[in-house]
Amino acid sequence: MIEIDHLTKRYGATTVVDDVSFQVEEGTITVVVGTSGAGKSTLLRMINRLVEPTAGRVLIDGEDTRSIPEDELRHRIGYVIQGYGLFPHRTVAANIATVPRLLGWDRKKIAQRVEELLDLFQLDPAEFAQKFPHELSGGQQQRVGVARALAARPALLLMDEPFGALDAVIRSKAQDDLLAIQRRLGTTIVLVTHDMNEAFHLGDRIAVMDQARLLQHATPAELLMHPADEFVERLVGTAERPFRLLTLTKVQDALEPGSAEGEPITASESLHDALSRLMWSGRKALPVADASGAIIGKVSVGGILGHGRPLP
Amino acid sequence: MKVASVLRLTAVVLLVLFIAMPQAFAFLFEPLTDNRAPAIYNQGSLLFLTLQHLRTVALATLASTVLAVALGIFVTRPSGAEFLPLSRSLVNIGQTFPPIAVLAIAVPLVGFGEKPTFIALFLYGLLPIFENTLTGLTQVSPQTLEAARGMGMNARQRLFQVELPLAFPVILAGIRLSVIISLGTATIGSTVAAKGLGEVIIAGLQSNNIAFVLQGGLVVALLAILIHDGLGLIERFAARKLGRSTDEVP
Ligand SMILES: Nc1ncnc2c1ncn2[C@@H]1O[C@H](COP(=O)(O)OP(=O)(O)OP(=O)(O)O)[C@@H](O)[C@H]1O
Ligand SMILES: [Mg+2]
Repeated sequence: MIEIDHLTKRYGATTVVDDVSFQVEEGTITVVVGTSGAGKSTLLRMINRLVEPTAGRVLIDGEDTRSIPEDELRHRIGYVIQGYGLFPHRTVAANIATVPRLLGWDRKKIAQRVEELLDLFQLDPAEFAQKFPHELSGGQQQRVGVARALAARPALLLMDEPFGALDAVIRSKAQDDLLAIQRRLGTTIVLVTHDMNEAFHLGDRIAVMDQARLLQHATPAELLMHPADEFVERLVGTAERPFRLLTLTKVQDALEPGSAEGEPITASESLHDALSRLMWSGRKALPVADASGAIIGKVSVGGILGHGRPLP
Repeated sequence: MKVASVLRLTAVVLLVLFIAMPQAFAFLFEPLTDNRAPAIYNQGSLLFLTLQHLRTVALATLASTVLAVALGIFVTRPSGAEFLPLSRSLVNIGQTFPPIAVLAIAVPLVGFGEKPTFIALFLYGLLPIFENTLTGLTQVSPQTLEAARGMGMNARQRLFQVELPLAFPVILAGIRLSVIISLGTATIGSTVAAKGLGEVIIAGLQSNNIAFVLQGGLVVALLAILIHDGLGLIERFAARKLGRSTDEVP
């Protein structure tokens, strides 16, 4: 668990991060969102001490990060930045091997790990291991950047606008891939973005920052239903709220007894997807199947709409 | 590329043949002499003089490189940043001070021979290497450095594993420039009795023998062209590996 405890950063008279505290549970994704200049990157960079806090502290599993030598701390924390900062003079394999090499792993172990990561990120080792960064597409560079950050199996991964340089299609695929990999490895992630959709898509919890302060730290649903103030409400997007809520809710939660005509939808899909299917097919209800394909009930337009507003 | 390789090879062969057995080329230079003066330099071995010339240039460039690169590294560190203007002016003085004047000052201090020439070349060669080291080190992208720091590389690891490798082609371009300047400038060393190709030229001037002057000049020029070309090849290879186009390298 990561505890961010009253972190403050001042440059001269200006406070860039103002007394921010929150906790990140093991194996979850926390997304820090906010407008430009809100202090998100500074907050993130205080976690791996690229920026020294003016006040406050960061605890990783109860251990104060100031008690760990800087370089050692950073070996233990993965870090991905916008633009990725791949080393142009090193091959993909050597880039990924950076931290293991700094840690002095033996060559066989490094080679094995690199291959494992290339596979994990769907980059064929035979094709990509010996390429240089300038020979890769943006999406491939992004994957190499994340693979490099994960190479030494860090328990914590910090990501500063990791998808900012990707086009919309590649970006949503990259987000899905990150989610899948995160669920598989159980990595704890703190991710900075100013894209609200990204925050809702990825975040188990969302921390909203504005003008150096943390306005709210909550689950996506709480953020939608009980925004802490007007700024959060505006940021969440008043018009988008019901649809975001539907994205967060599973078909399972709106399951009704009975049966319906048509192609079944799986219980683990979102109500947003279910509604979209219903509207497109012009039906009033769809059968719902569980993971094995057995029909377990139905989901109806009325039932879905009930979930698009806060519960009384 | 093919044509360039052929030219390159021809130049090397010609140069080696001429230095090793200059007499074979006498017929080419005879028309330039009068009163039966010797057509080929005959006061010493051309091969020996060429090797001496190269030796002086190599030693001086090596010394310039060590100092200029070290200085360039120092002033791009946070602790050395305040010395940047000072180092720049010092190195610039080394360049603006004419080598012949350096010789005049150095001879009374270190005597005749190779030493004063070495000093003059050393000072003269600092500037291009220093400036290119600065350019090379400062053009490393901030993102790359941020990533290096974020992954836990310490200052030394960042310098040797990231900054210097990325600056290498640009530094090499500076060294190349310095070598070429030194090759030509080294000829004046013969005025203070340093062994080198300047001897051939000066002998020609003293005895009014254009053939000698031409021989000395030609060998220096060919050396310069070949070394320039060879180092350029390495540079382009290094730059290509970094995915830079070659014309980005000054
Ligand atoms: N080294 C520094 N010295 C002085 N001010 C700084 C420094 N670093 C950041 N700042 C200021 O702190 C504020 C917050 O910067 P930060 O990079 O954390 O914002 P951000 O939320 O990441 O913004 P963006 O979304 O644009 O990346 C900005 O106003 C910035 O100018
Ligand atoms: Mg930022």
